[in-house]
Amino acid sequence: MNIVDVSTDELIPIEILPVEKTDYKFISKNRYFFNWKEEQNQEVLKLIIKGKNDILGLISYEDIPEEWRFHIRLLTVSKENKGANRKYSKIAGNLIVYLAKLAIRKYGIMGCVSLRPKTQIAQHYIKNYKMKITGMTLSLEVPEILDLINQYENE
Amino acid sequence: MNKKSEEYIDFGVDSRYSTIEEKTSDAVILMQARLERMKNLPKEQIIRTKLIQLKLEMDEFLKQGTLGLSHKFSDFLGKYIDILYTKHAYFSKDLNITPVFLSQIINGHRLASEEFLLKLTVHSEKTFETVCFFNKNTWFQIFYQEKINQLIFRQDEWRSEIEKQVKFSELV
Repeated sequence: MNIVDVSTDELIPIEILPVEKTDYKFISKNRYFFNWKEEQNQEVLKLIIKGKNDILGLISYEDIPEEWRFHIRLLTVSKENKGANRKYSKIAGNLIVYLAKLAIRKYGIMGCVSLRPKTQIAQHYIKNYKMKITGMTLSLEVPEILDLINQYENE
Repeated sequence: MNKKSEEYIDFGVDSRYSTIEEKTSDAVILMQARLERMKNLPKEQIIRTKLIQLKLEMDEFLKQGTLGLSHKFSDFLGKYIDILYTKHAYFSKDLNITPVFLSQIINGHRLASEEFLLKLTVHSEKTFETVCFFNKNTWFQIFYQEKINQLIFRQDEWRSEIEKQVKFSELV
């Protein structure tokens, strides 16, 4: 999996790993927008460039086995990767796709990733990740979830 | 969407449920909708999903490396055939092998031969061609990873006998 250096279009190989307790010292609200310490008892993943330590994106999630779905709780990119002047793109997408792979691997045909945005940002996820809307919930399901996995595997 | 909200979406989302009631009611509505959508899923999408699931399981096994004694090669092979064929005999016919030979591999009574691995690789390449990226070395890697795992985790069984046979006549 890769992110893209926006200035050169170069593909940069990344890794997505569980956040360790020691990481929280470096995860400030100023750089990662939310209070991630509130998520310490949840499953939290970090995106880093292969061989480096700097965290470029974070996602926390809940696995809900009785519903065969992974629900995204918090998702963010680091401050310097936000907006028009960002250094890298596809950080959030890679984190969502990582969860999509977990969902398909564990739950197969019923695998699902869900999201419940509190504002009008739903359109962003519908447009960019082909999420379906059901009530207040956005979800990635078969077949769109497979298309997204393939799209990111082929880039 | 105004400029302010565009800025907001750029950095992420807080998608946590505010209350248990919110979570429960959302879950009911979502599940009903998903099950309804699932009813209309074409058979080819079901097969596609199962193949991608299998590929992800195989990738994960290889990523984890030496984790214990499990017959992953035969498990994965069995799943692969079950996704694509109604009968194992049809698969053995397509690979020009006998059903008995295939059955012995799947049941762990015989090791896969090199020729069988090559045929399986060619078959998988064609199968996955329009489904997703599939590394052509995957079956070889799984087969040999399982052998490595068995050698490592069965040391109690082979070590004492092998140690008797190894001499150190010119040990420095």
